[in-house]
Amino acid sequence: MSLDYSVVLTKIPILLEGCWVTLQISFFALLLGMVFGIAGALCRISSNRILNSIAFFYVWVIRGTPVMVQLFILYFGLPQLGIKLPSMVAGVLGLAVNTGAYVTEIIRAGVQAVDKGQMEAALSVGMNYRQAMVRIIGPQATKICIPPLVNQFIMTLKNSSIASLVTITELFRTGEQIIYTTFRSFEVYTAVAVLYLIMNSVFMVIADRLERKMARQ
Amino acid sequence: MSSIVEMKNVNKAFGPVEVLKDFSLKLAEGEKVVIIGPSGSGKSTVLRCINQLETIQGGQIFFEGQAIDAKSDLCALRTHIGMVFQRFNLFPHKTALENIIEALLIVKKKSRPEAEKIAAALLDRVGLVDKRDSYPRELSGGQQQRVAIARALAMSPKIMLFDEPTSALDPELVGEVLGVMKDLVKEGMTMVVVTHEMAFAKEVADRVIFMDQGIIMEEGTPAQIFESPSHERTRLFLKRIKH
Repeated sequence: MSLDYSVVLTKIPILLEGCWVTLQISFFALLLGMVFGIAGALCRISSNRILNSIAFFYVWVIRGTPVMVQLFILYFGLPQLGIKLPSMVAGVLGLAVNTGAYVTEIIRAGVQAVDKGQMEAALSVGMNYRQAMVRIIGPQATKICIPPLVNQFIMTLKNSSIASLVTITELFRTGEQIIYTTFRSFEVYTAVAVLYLIMNSVFMVIADRLERKMARQ
Repeated sequence: MSSIVEMKNVNKAFGPVEVLKDFSLKLAEGEKVVIIGPSGSGKSTVLRCINQLETIQGGQIFFEGQAIDAKSDLCALRTHIGMVFQRFNLFPHKTALENIIEALLIVKKKSRPEAEKIAAALLDRVGLVDKRDSYPRELSGGQQQRVAIARALAMSPKIMLFDEPTSALDPELVGEVLGVMKDLVKEGMTMVVVTHEMAFAKEVADRVIFMDQGIIMEEGTPAQIFESPSHERTRLFLKRIKH
């Protein structure tokens, strides 16, 4: 059987629309995921046992369950309890909660990787804990966190394909719909793969520049 | 002379390990005390307890006659107590100048020009005016330690604590750091120095303390400790470090 990519070419506008939705889901999931992650990490670092336990539980549950199951609970499970989330909200929220758990661990590890002499030096010149965290530990931890965060962002962008299962017409679902009418599964799936690769590559290049800029400082 | 720091029957343990046992020490204003002793004897812990980097399990610590307790403002207290670390602990993301002005800006709330003026004068004092815009990784160990001393001095401390300030340095760099410390001695700074530099101790110390296993085994003038130590363990220790 011969391959025919002309079908794909005619569908490019629709595929790009799918990309746009994928980017939107990913963007909001990452933004919200960072908020969850920073909050989670602060709780994990804090000496408050209750906050610490909550964050520990959050990370434990999310890391220990598949992201698909998490999304299905939000979208198909919650309505049974009377909570009906629009698919976009369930998709973004699910991915954000998932991303947040990993970001929590990344930031916690980053903060703990900063030499403990740094905190002592900051305290010894009279800074309080918060000042030391913001001015001394934070900037150093940020640098350490960037490579694993980039990794996580790439994972989230790819995981957004799972949002297709809660009826969001993002890139992957767009591709599937094209296949229903054209039966060109190989051509369409490879085209979808290439589009994911392009989006991630753009992101990787930006991240790489940022990393190099920070390393120079 | 009035005492600036007093430790009274201080107990400190790390888990089951008792590091300081009923430890008492009184430091007079302007006094230069050198603490020597084998590793694990609790020398560094004494310094870390004084500026409250460690919490003690028993006893009391007084600063200028005031007992330090749960209600004490530790940040304010620490500005009066300069600390110099073995591993320098400069802030790696900040230049020499920025390392010094950081606490002036956010703790002492000085304006930037004012802070920079103080920092520049301090860099001059430790002989590093030309390194103001260098990052720690661009400086030698000796230079880093001198910046660290300047950073501590920026808070105008009443006492300086030195925790093995030359132990992490290449031998040829030790002199420049000890030189800065000797300048401080001349200026009358109260100092507690944990070190293995016996020549320095002989030259500047008013009092030498030999610690072993969390207690003061012996203390006295440098002449007493180095020339006629009364304790067998002091003798053994001094013999070992001479070789």
